[in-house]
Amino acid sequence: MRRSKAISAMAVTAVSALVLTACGGGGGDNSDGSSADVASMAEGKAQEGDVFKLADVPEMDPVTVAIDDKFTAYNNDTADANSSYNNYVLTSVLAGPTLLDGNNKVLTNGDLMESIEVTSEDPYTVEWKIKEGAKWSDGEPWDCSDFYLSWLAHSGKAEGFNVASSTGYELIDQPECKDAQTFTAEFSQPYIDYKGLFAAGAILPAHVLEKGTGIDDITSIKPDSPKVSDVAEFWAGEWKGFDAETMPGSGPYKIKSFDRNSGRVVLDKNPEWIGAKGGPKEVTVRTIPDTQAMATALENGEIDVAASTQPDATAATTMQNLESQGVTYGSAPQLTYEHLDLNFKRIFADEAARKAFFAVVPRQQIVDKLLKGVQPDAEVLQSIVFFQGEDGYQDVYSDKAGQGAEAAEKILQEGGWKKGSDGIYAKNGERFSIEISHNENARRKQTVEIIQSAAAKAGIEVKDDQDANFLAGRVDKGDYDVALFGWSSEPFKTTQAALYSSDGGQNWQGLESKEVDKAYEQAVASTKEDEARKHYQEADKALANEYATLPLFATPSMWGFRGIDRVYMQSYNGALWNVGEWEAAE
Amino acid sequence: MEAGVESGHGKNSGGSDPEALPEARSQGRMVLRKFLRHKLAMGSVVVLALIILGSIILPLFYPHSYADASFSSYVEPSAEHPLGTTQVGKDMMAQVLRGTQFSLLIAITVAMLTTIIGVVLGALAGYLRGFTDSAISRLTDLFLIVPSIAAAAIMVRVLSGSWYVVALVLAMFAWMPIARITRAEAMSLSQREFIEAARASGAGTGRVVFKHLVPNMVGTITVNATLAVAQAVLAEAALSFIGLGVQIPDTSLGLVISENYEQMQGRPWLFFGAFTVLVLISLTINFIGDGLRDAFDPRQRKVKA
Amino acid sequence: MNLVVYILRRLAISIPILFVGSFLVFCMVAAAGDPLGELRTQPGVSQESIDQLSHQLGLDMGIVPRYFDWLGGFLTGDWGISIAQGSNMQPVFPKIMSAFEVTIQLILAAEIIALLLGVAVGVLAAVKQYTPIDYIATTMAFIFFSMPIFCVAIVLKMYGIDLNVMINDMGWDSWLGNPFLKTTSPESLSGDGFFDSIIGYIGGLLLPTLSIMFISFAAYSRFQRSSMLETMNMDYVRTAQAKGISQGRVIMRHAFRNALIPVTTLFSVNFVTVVTGAIITERVFAWNGMGSVLVEAVNKNDPNTLMGWIVVIAVAVVVANLIADLVYGILDPRIRVG
Repeated sequence: MRRSKAISAMAVTAVSALVLTACGGGGGDNSDGSSADVASMAEGKAQEGDVFKLADVPEMDPVTVAIDDKFTAYNNDTADANSSYNNYVLTSVLAGPTLLDGNNKVLTNGDLMESIEVTSEDPYTVEWKIKEGAKWSDGEPWDCSDFYLSWLAHSGKAEGFNVASSTGYELIDQPECKDAQTFTAEFSQPYIDYKGLFAAGAILPAHVLEKGTGIDDITSIKPDSPKVSDVAEFWAGEWKGFDAETMPGSGPYKIKSFDRNSGRVVLDKNPEWIGAKGGPKEVTVRTIPDTQAMATALENGEIDVAASTQPDATAATTMQNLESQGVTYGSAPQLTYEHLDLNFKRIFADEAARKAFFAVVPRQQIVDKLLKGVQPDAEVLQSIVFFQGEDGYQDVYSDKAGQGAEAAEKILQEGGWKKGSDGIYAKNGERFSIEISHNENARRKQTVEIIQSAAAKAGIEVKDDQDANFLAGRVDKGDYDVALFGWSSEPFKTTQAALYSSDGGQNWQGLESKEVDKAYEQAVASTKEDEARKHYQEADKALANEYATLPLFATPSMWGFRGIDRVYMQSYNGALWNVGEWEAAE
Repeated sequence: MEAGVESGHGKNSGGSDPEALPEARSQGRMVLRKFLRHKLAMGSVVVLALIILGSIILPLFYPHSYADASFSSYVEPSAEHPLGTTQVGKDMMAQVLRGTQFSLLIAITVAMLTTIIGVVLGALAGYLRGFTDSAISRLTDLFLIVPSIAAAAIMVRVLSGSWYVVALVLAMFAWMPIARITRAEAMSLSQREFIEAARASGAGTGRVVFKHLVPNMVGTITVNATLAVAQAVLAEAALSFIGLGVQIPDTSLGLVISENYEQMQGRPWLFFGAFTVLVLISLTINFIGDGLRDAFDPRQRKVKA
Repeated sequence: MNLVVYILRRLAISIPILFVGSFLVFCMVAAAGDPLGELRTQPGVSQESIDQLSHQLGLDMGIVPRYFDWLGGFLTGDWGISIAQGSNMQPVFPKIMSAFEVTIQLILAAEIIALLLGVAVGVLAAVKQYTPIDYIATTMAFIFFSMPIFCVAIVLKMYGIDLNVMINDMGWDSWLGNPFLKTTSPESLSGDGFFDSIIGYIGGLLLPTLSIMFISFAAYSRFQRSSMLETMNMDYVRTAQAKGISQGRVIMRHAFRNALIPVTTLFSVNFVTVVTGAIITERVFAWNGMGSVLVEAVNKNDPNTLMGWIVVIAVAVVVANLIADLVYGILDPRIRVG
């Protein structure tokens, strides 16, 4: 927060992929810290069951929304462009078959979709049916060819797309446009998170690409066609920044103008939108990297909505104090879990050391001091796999962590550690002195300060290793004793195995556990959600028993607004997910 | 200034070093006498001395460690915590004391380094002229056009945010004005008889520069070194503010302020402690520098009279 | 004529210095770490696309060929691409230029006011030496001089908001706009009419300009005061006074003009300080100028942007020096004639 926030770096998103976050974060839960009426804003006004539709509301005057970092690209799915902040804007511009509400519930986009169904279990086949009449803002139909292009780009089967993540898409073997409104995909193995595919800005206008590359029909291009390189070049290269000609909208809004230097984006109505047509006439999205400056701008009436992923208690207080001036303050955990990863290749190969470290980390104190100002009902996170409020959430850590200095000393002594003359425990000549490594982030620095002070009382020396490059080239090499960072995800769990399985690509801490491996394998292969959930819970428990990684909290977002009836900051897609149904407050 | 230096050395031409000393000493006495009469400067010396002593002595008796984060968040000022506690629950007074130590350490290191680099290069350039002069002048120009804030930010990031790295980097980009001033003065001094005499008597470059030139520029050097301290304190604070200055475990007043400036309205005690000390340090040093300038300036007598 | 020769000579010196300086900085930036480090840790990024980027940035070349490659591009207006995450391989040139435009607006406005005000106050303090006016001016200068610029900016911002509330209470917002004073970069400088545009422009620029102005003003007024005192003690001024020429005339004709010379020097020496001040002020007021570009480039380890940034500022410093030299030449007859 404060300074480090400009620095905040990559709150990166990748469709249904776990993503390392430098700063932002989330949690899947509807118990937010704001007043009861804010909690009720998490749902769409006309949302029914699993279907979301924009409510029919009167049009309102233009609004200005501030976010932490700049919008940069219309195509958010290339590796170099991928950022949450693009998502925050594109969520109202590029429609997908599904979207998430404030409670992270996966909803079918009822304005544009007829249905999304699994039509066969073996081979696992999914059918997306698009509504007749769905159109891009330039009048061209939003149809199956757009889905097909999205698959082609994300599949990882063709080179040159430089796609941020192909999780899920790479399992699709047989994509097919049955007719203009029906897209079917046959998967090589069951994939129950199929609803995460094609969402959040993944569907770009195929007709624009066809025109730009001279291809008649994109569905005729296979990953091994010679022309695929033209497609890749256009897809990865031509949809950066903004150009009104080639970047129409498919959601209720389209981009009207974009100032690259300041990151300011102006959205106006998509004239071809077939859903409800209310909401603000225009939406200006601005970048204010300093959270306190954002709160001040709201106070001074320069912006109508302040939406930040960087919880800062002072800015939160400023906004809370503006209640008398008509400002509503909200805060909710995002789908990011802040945690401490212990490196098994160093001092923490010793189990007693891991247990003792778990015992001294004062998680409740960290949450009380750093989060309560932002989100009064913030809680310690007790699971790595699930967020509070998610089905399957269970407390598997509270009996393993935070017992205090005395307990830690006892564990160490039993484990063969002896207190040295300097007051620090040592074993086999190695002092219990560790570094907690993290990127530049004021909240993380504060977290370490609190742990430092508590660990010192148990004869454990903790050093703060703040390194701007930590997430950029160190963490993946396992170059740390303890890593403090966040993982952010959509509410789909498939990719988690990569983090904690013995041979997982992002298992940087050197964890090897047969129980964990087995549980993840079974979960990923499950065809039913209940079954998968059961295995994920087993994985959660097995992980906790290893004392490998200590969850701290789901990082809250915070937002404030004035003059609008309801605004809820969605953990993954930001405040604009339902901008089309905002109304002027009376 | 030059007039003063000249009067101190008029009789000295051709004299040997032992003779130069008593002269310098009597001139020094005169400067000191004038400085002691400068009320604002003297008051500043007292305040600054108190700050320095306080930052060294107080922590020895102060009950709270700067690292202890076991208190509650945002405790209001009380006898227990004179400046309250921070968000993580650290005693603010302990932070200010430690910040003061580090800020002074950085500032004095910077001042010493810049003075040494600036005086040596400036004096050599002014005395030797020719190729040395143009080489050093180009070097000065080079450092003047490289934006120091960017260079400092990159180097702090690459090397680390230890206090000595910050001090070193700040010094690297602060010696140029002193070098220029010294060069100009060395040029005019080296025209003087006593320098020519020293050179004629076979003294080498090093000896002429350090035994004859530099002692005669003591006024300019002292004044500029003093002002460099004040500038270093502020430069460090500026770097810290954009998050590219000193990093923990080291600290500084700039860091303490920039971590807490948001509290200016809500919990002013968290802001104003460190802020007041910082401004006092830089203000008193500026006043002292001003007093020294007057004291070294012979014309001041006339003006005051 | 001589002035032209002098300027050409200065330029002839400056260009090799820029060349050497840019090479040194290039090495420093190159040593700052792997610009693609962050990308490498990301799931799903193929080795192929990293190699491709690496080649595009010339990371597969040695430092010297890489420098000349960069320099060649730089001189022809191709400043490379920005590779920081999310920046989307945006070309550096337009990015830096639009940021520079923002910053230069702030600096120019602030410097002009600071110069005028500083010189005026300095002259006044010198002429009225040891009077209350002098003491007030001196105290103010010392306080601003000793204050970190971000503190000035933050205080101004705080009072700016209060002032807006007052403006609204008085009903002046109907023609000043609501809010009149902006605490962040103004929405857009275009208004409905000429008057509205002017008001909007002033309201947006006022607070940040003032905070940069105060710091410069302190230095200028101090400097002007002491150089004014010095000239007023010079023989020719005393002679003029002795001849019975009126006080005002002596001051304006003789003392003032000569006393301006050192301030001109200060302007060029001060330029880098002012840029630094602007960077910090921009940060407080959330302007998207050179400040935010720098902090982002440093933190995201973005070599082309850093190089572009540094060279643009270095060239600006050279130009500021040239301007100072020109003014110097106009003010000081000795240089003009001989």
